[in-house]
Amino acid sequence: MSGYLAYIVKRLAQFVLVVFIGINLAYVITHATPIDPVEQSISAVTSYGNTAPGAIEQMRSSLRELYGLEGSALQQYWVFWKRILRADFGPSMSAFPTPVSTLIARALPWTAGLLVVSTTVTWMLGNLLGGLAGYYQRNRGLKLLGVIAMGLHPIPYYILALLLLIVFGFLWPVLPISGGSTMNVPQAWTWDFIGSVLQHSILPALSLILIGVGSWFLGMRSLVSNIVTEDYVIYAELAGVKSRRILSSYVMRNALVPQVTGLAISLGGIFNGAVITEKVFGYPGIGSLLVDAVYAGDYGLVLGVTTISILGVSVGVLAIDLLYPLLDPRVKVS
Amino acid sequence: MLAILRDLLRYNLEFRIGIVLVGIVFILSVLSFFSPYPPQDVYVVPPDVPPSLTYWLGTTSRGQDVFWQLTFAIRNTLLFGFTVALISRVLALVIGLVSGYKGGWVDRVLMSLNDTFIVIPLLPVLVLFYFVMRDSMSWLMLALIMACLGWAYDARLIRSVAMSLKTREFTESSVFSGMTTREILVQEHLPYVMPIVFSTTMNNMVWSIGLEVTLAVLGFTDINTPTIGGMIYWANQHTAMVAGIWWWIAFPTIAVIMTFIGLFLLAVSMNEYIDPRSRLSRMGGAS
Amino acid sequence: MTTAAPASLADTRQPDSDRPILVVRNLQAHFRTSHFGVNRYVRAVDGISFDVRRGEIYGLAGESSSGKTTLVKTIAGAIKPPLEVVGGTIEFSFLPGYGGLHRAPPAEVARIRWRHLSYIMQGSMNVLNPVRRLRKSFDDFARPHIAGTGKQFEAAVIDHLARVKLEPSVLAAYPHELSGGMRQRATIALATICRPDFVIADEPTTALDVVVQKDVLGMIRGIQREIGSSMLFVTHDMGVHAWLTDRLGIMYAGRLVEEAATPEIFRNPLHPYTKHLIASLPRIGDDTPRKGLEGAPPNLADPPPGCRFHPRCPLAMEVCSRRVPDMIETAPGHRVACFAVNGSEAP
Repeated sequence: MSGYLAYIVKRLAQFVLVVFIGINLAYVITHATPIDPVEQSISAVTSYGNTAPGAIEQMRSSLRELYGLEGSALQQYWVFWKRILRADFGPSMSAFPTPVSTLIARALPWTAGLLVVSTTVTWMLGNLLGGLAGYYQRNRGLKLLGVIAMGLHPIPYYILALLLLIVFGFLWPVLPISGGSTMNVPQAWTWDFIGSVLQHSILPALSLILIGVGSWFLGMRSLVSNIVTEDYVIYAELAGVKSRRILSSYVMRNALVPQVTGLAISLGGIFNGAVITEKVFGYPGIGSLLVDAVYAGDYGLVLGVTTISILGVSVGVLAIDLLYPLLDPRVKVS
Repeated sequence: MLAILRDLLRYNLEFRIGIVLVGIVFILSVLSFFSPYPPQDVYVVPPDVPPSLTYWLGTTSRGQDVFWQLTFAIRNTLLFGFTVALISRVLALVIGLVSGYKGGWVDRVLMSLNDTFIVIPLLPVLVLFYFVMRDSMSWLMLALIMACLGWAYDARLIRSVAMSLKTREFTESSVFSGMTTREILVQEHLPYVMPIVFSTTMNNMVWSIGLEVTLAVLGFTDINTPTIGGMIYWANQHTAMVAGIWWWIAFPTIAVIMTFIGLFLLAVSMNEYIDPRSRLSRMGGAS
Repeated sequence: MTTAAPASLADTRQPDSDRPILVVRNLQAHFRTSHFGVNRYVRAVDGISFDVRRGEIYGLAGESSSGKTTLVKTIAGAIKPPLEVVGGTIEFSFLPGYGGLHRAPPAEVARIRWRHLSYIMQGSMNVLNPVRRLRKSFDDFARPHIAGTGKQFEAAVIDHLARVKLEPSVLAAYPHELSGGMRQRATIALATICRPDFVIADEPTTALDVVVQKDVLGMIRGIQREIGSSMLFVTHDMGVHAWLTDRLGIMYAGRLVEEAATPEIFRNPLHPYTKHLIASLPRIGDDTPRKGLEGAPPNLADPPPGCRFHPRCPLAMEVCSRRVPDMIETAPGHRVACFAVNGSEAP
């Protein structure tokens, strides 16, 4: 039992480290560069027309206070961390005076829903097909799938999203290509709403899934082809254990272990893909929020989304890490 | 190492296809030196002309020849990817080798750090960089930043190679009577490490170019230096898709996909070469 | 589909029955590999013939690259590319008529696996599924062949485990939680619980330390005598052969060079290679220096012509490099393949 406890403690420590370094990184980028975010915001805001100098001065001083840029470096650091721990990112410039945290809270469920569903489908489907391909190496259909996977896997998310947009937006418009749900359907737990949510999420999810499945497929296939040469698989075959039992209990079950680790590692990349996909399809998640915030020069929102992204991905990794010992009993010993 | 490449070329279909694709892309980029138009100039040719004999890949809404733009874009994109790969190789090798050979607490500390950088989602961080630096972010700067953030995954791979080589070294007790450490490293270890460095370089290029394309498409990079992502960005700005100027988007897209598939195949075939079991299984049954 | 475990051993064991349980004739199994233009054709098993009788332990001795493991894997039907059976037959008395497991229909092979033919694998490190408890392995391997309810099966397993001195608690353990010796004993229990007619044991004790080894060998012999199965026991350790086996076959470079009852081999080795193997065994009180054989085992991709031992043989003659010596019964129950021993007239 104590082995498991030591493992949990280690993983929690790693989680804290990642969040700490990540947020410090955000701090360094925003406070330690020669560029002044206040000036950036002001130039973005004033580029649209004439603003009185007095108004600019006032903007400058209130922005400085808002962005926590008053005082010495140490004071700024302290203010920065205090606000983050309270989840206070200030008001959003582009949606003034709505607080950044509100905007993020509104967008987060969309991204979370999209990511959780598409990642789960991708991982399970990719591993299942890849495992079969690695085990039944003569099967023509599976070999064909392998070639397709090889072709899809290196394509960047953006390109595929664009292709899907073109196909379903212009050539064969059967699916909605923007928004999170149909415009005039109220956001309540009604079948109408849920149905339209699902409809709108098909294309974004599809672009994430198609590429992701390729990656998991290839990894799992290569993993499984190695596992079938392991002693315990050969031994089970010598014992006459049925093929299906060997595939599920000896091969797949063992292959899942490193694939779960791989899932944790790839969460960052999956998130990146989601950001761009959301933008292409106008999906109202935090990815779109981030991009729009940059266009609008909304410093607080950009910082807020970045921080939440780091936090979110770290939590996802932690969750997977904590579930890992359930899959691999050997971890308790080390 | 050359012998490995020669063998791969002769016997591995994926490697051949990869070399062909990368070769085409490379030739395109070299052609950029022969371009009649400076890359940043606009309205040098009639805009929105579809592909024809005069303008092989058509022209853009900004009055640029798509073909010649593409050569610059490919060249810059490849250069970018290569720069990132080079710098992050150095980082990955140093950290991976030190971690693998030293072991102990050095290894633990480095790997904790390493795992941190694997987990942190890089796109938001890069976006934050861009937001803060705006127009002073040249592509070189971006390459540097990406290299400093993207070494983690490969460092782990190199570390496990170093660890396995370390134990192998101890069984080579006869080596101690003959070869110097440098001779061991160069004659025995390096040939083993090189293929892995090669395949991780390919993968790293795919990753960095992909990230750059993503950033550029959103307009978050130096959009005046032509890159593949930049071309797509400008095409979007001029709503090329809706206006029917499909060639402005299609050809850069095709070029980048060719680059990716080519690099990916090179990496995959090199990995196959390293892994002895895949060789055996291909021999025994399939096809 | 499930068959009841025999109640007593008297019904199944027929000592010295005249029908051998395994007959191997002229078996040839080769590896064909080709990577990146380099083709290699390894004659790992090149024309081997021998019998194993009911209830006997037949030992296979020889150096690491002699082809012993390939031979038993082929007999057990674990034949996957790049290994292929090129010629010869393998006949078990319980699976007659096909010439080998690789030629029999899958249904027949499934019928005999584990129930009639089982295997103890080399190296206990990785032979059991690392993510499943031991109980599951017993379930997967043995349950299909033993009639009765789940509870009865569990009781039978616990009973059998006691024979290898393992507590019932090991069933709930994962393989990595057991010591090497315990894992190997569990594997032995696993391989013998269905009371198979034939057990192939490939270096089952080589990875264990000497003290544990003796215990485990004793258990193997005890179980074998009790259930009356025949055994093909592979090891390079001549001391183990002396202690355990009834008859002994000596392999060199993919061929059998000598075969006789174990005491006879040790008393009166005829083949020069066998003589060397025996002479190299340390004996207490005898401190004459041991002489090593010159040269190294041949490369099976490019073996020497004729008798494969001739480059290292002190008795080599001219004919040895031209023709392959046949296994000839020089004395009753004692076969040798050597021109120096049998003479070189063409048969």
